[in-house]
Amino acid sequence: MKEKLTSLDTALAPIASGASVMFGGSLLRRQPNAAVRHLIARGVKDLTVLSWAGTTAIDMLAAAEAIRRYEGIYVGLFNYGLAPNFRRGVQSGRIEVRDFSETAMVARLRAAAQGLRFLPIRTLFGSDIAARNPEQIKTFACPFTGEPVQAVAAAETEFTIIHGYKGDKYGNVQWPVVRDTDDMDQPMAAAAKRLIVTVEKIVSHEEVKRQPSLTYIPGQWVEAIVEVPHGAHPVACDTIYDEDDAHMRDYVARCATAEGAAAYLDEFARSVADHEAYLDKIGAAHLASLDVSGGAQ
Amino acid sequence: MNDQSATFTTNELITAYLARQIEDDDLAFVGVGTNGRAFTLAVGIPLAAVRLAQMRHAPGACVYWGNLLEPDLSEIPEKLTQDSLTHWQAAACPPDTGTKCDMLMRRAFDVCFNSAAQIDRFGNMNITAIGDYRQPKVRLVGCLAQPEHAAFVRRPYIVVDLDKRTFVEEVDFITSVGHYKGGSSRTETGLSEGGPRLVVTNKAVFDFAPGSKAMRLVSLHPGVTREEVLDLMGFVPEVSEDLGETPAPDAEELRLIRHDIDPNHILLRV
Repeated sequence: MKEKLTSLDTALAPIASGASVMFGGSLLRRQPNAAVRHLIARGVKDLTVLSWAGTTAIDMLAAAEAIRRYEGIYVGLFNYGLAPNFRRGVQSGRIEVRDFSETAMVARLRAAAQGLRFLPIRTLFGSDIAARNPEQIKTFACPFTGEPVQAVAAAETEFTIIHGYKGDKYGNVQWPVVRDTDDMDQPMAAAAKRLIVTVEKIVSHEEVKRQPSLTYIPGQWVEAIVEVPHGAHPVACDTIYDEDDAHMRDYVARCATAEGAAAYLDEFARSVADHEAYLDKIGAAHLASLDVSGGAQ
Repeated sequence: MNDQSATFTTNELITAYLARQIEDDDLAFVGVGTNGRAFTLAVGIPLAAVRLAQMRHAPGACVYWGNLLEPDLSEIPEKLTQDSLTHWQAAACPPDTGTKCDMLMRRAFDVCFNSAAQIDRFGNMNITAIGDYRQPKVRLVGCLAQPEHAAFVRRPYIVVDLDKRTFVEEVDFITSVGHYKGGSSRTETGLSEGGPRLVVTNKAVFDFAPGSKAMRLVSLHPGVTREEVLDLMGFVPEVSEDLGETPAPDAEELRLIRHDIDPNHILLRV
C-alpha cells in the first residue's frame, strides 16, 4: 500500500488558477473549509467549482473572487440565509452559474464514476435549468421506447476535495455508524480524478482493517490525505462538533459588504500562517464548546 | 364557529387543513432548511401537518425528511442544531441523498411541500434567480430537488404567503414546472401527469382548474375577503363557483398541535 499522508501545502499544491474543483460536504456539514482557506491564502483564482449543497466553502471562494463558474444544486447558508458573497458574485456577472437539480447532479456524478459521458434523466422538461444550458443538458429519444429523455453531462473535474471523519495514512477514510447522510461525498469520491481528502483524525491502519465496511472512501481512490482537525469549522462535522453559531453570525454580519468579506478573509485565511494558527485564533476553549463527540474522538 | 375563529392562529389553520389532505400510508417529502418564516412554511407546518394526520386519521403516513426515512415525529427537539438532526431517530438513513433521488424518479412519493420566491398562475415556481438569469437582480439558492418534486410527486402542496411579489404573471426563471402553460402543455413537454395540487397561503387556498389548469381560488380563510386576496396577487386567478371558507381547526386538532406536536413553538413559531 502506498502512503498518502501529507501536508495541506503539498496536497493542494497541484491546484492552480483556472482549475476545476469539486467540493464535498452538504449544507452545514463537512464543507472542506480549511482547504478552501488554504487555496484563498495562496491566491488561486478563476476556478470552475462544483458542489452538492454548498455553503461556507463556496461562499468564501466567492468572497475571494476565486470562482469563474459554478455548477451545482444549491449555494446558500442554510438557516443563516442566502450566501452573501456568492450572491454578489453572480449578480455582478463575475460568476457564471449553471444550475442542476438533485437528480441531475446525481446522474452527473454517477456518469463520471462509470466513465460515461452522460446519464439520462427525465426531470427537467420545460424547466429553464435545461433551457438555459443546452451544452450540458440535451434531450434525445430513448432507444427502447422512443420517449424523450435528457442526457446530463458527466461531472468531470480535475480535482475533488472532501472533508471526512477519520482515515489512515494510506488514504482509507471511514464514516461513523450513525451520522448525517444527507450528502453525496461518496459518489463524489467515486467520480473523482484526483481526490484530496482532509480528515479530522488519522488513525491506525489496524483500526481501519477491523471494520472495513465503514471505509466509504478507499485509499485506492485517494491521491493525498491530510489530518486537519476542525477542518470544517465554522460548520459542523456531524458526530464530532456542531456548527459554530457565533462565528456563523459574525461571518454573515461582516459579509454584508464586499469590504467586510475581504477583511474577514484577511483575518481568517490570508494572515494566519497555517491551519494550526487558525485554530489557535478561534481558541481551544471555544472549539471545545462545540464538541458533540462525548469524548469519542 | 365564529367564536372559535379568534382562538386559532393562521399557522394552526393551515396545519390542520394540510393534515386533512394527507391520506393513510402517504409518503411525504419535507425539506430541512432555511430560517424564520421560510422555515415555518417549508418545514414547520409540513412536519406538524403530517404528525397531526398520523395522530388523527393516517397512522401509516410518514415522512422523508432530509435523508431520514420515517423519522420519529413524536418528539421535536427544542433546538435544531446539526447534532439534533444527526441523532434524530428514524427507520432508515440511506447512505447518501442519491437514494432519495432514485425514489423520486420512480414516483415513490405521494406528497411534497414546497415554497418559492415566485409562483405563476400555472404553479411554475422560481427559487433560482430574480431578474435576468445571467446577471440577476437577486440570486437565490439554486434549485435543490424542487424540479423533482414538481416532476414526479403525485400531490405537491405549495405552502407560501400571499404577496404580489410572489404571485406573478410569469416567473423570471422556471426552476420547477407545474402545469407549465396550462391545458395539456405539461405532458407535452415530456413530463408525466401531475403538477401542484393545492396552493395553501396565509389568506386563502387555491387549486388548479380542470381544463385550463390555471390557479383557482377555492376558499378564503375566516375573516378574509376576496378583494383582499386579489389585491395581494400579481395576476387574476380563476374563482371557484363554490368559493367558501377554509374550514377551521376543531378543538381536538388544536389540542394536539399545541400540547403534543409543537409544545415548544419550534415548528409554528413565526
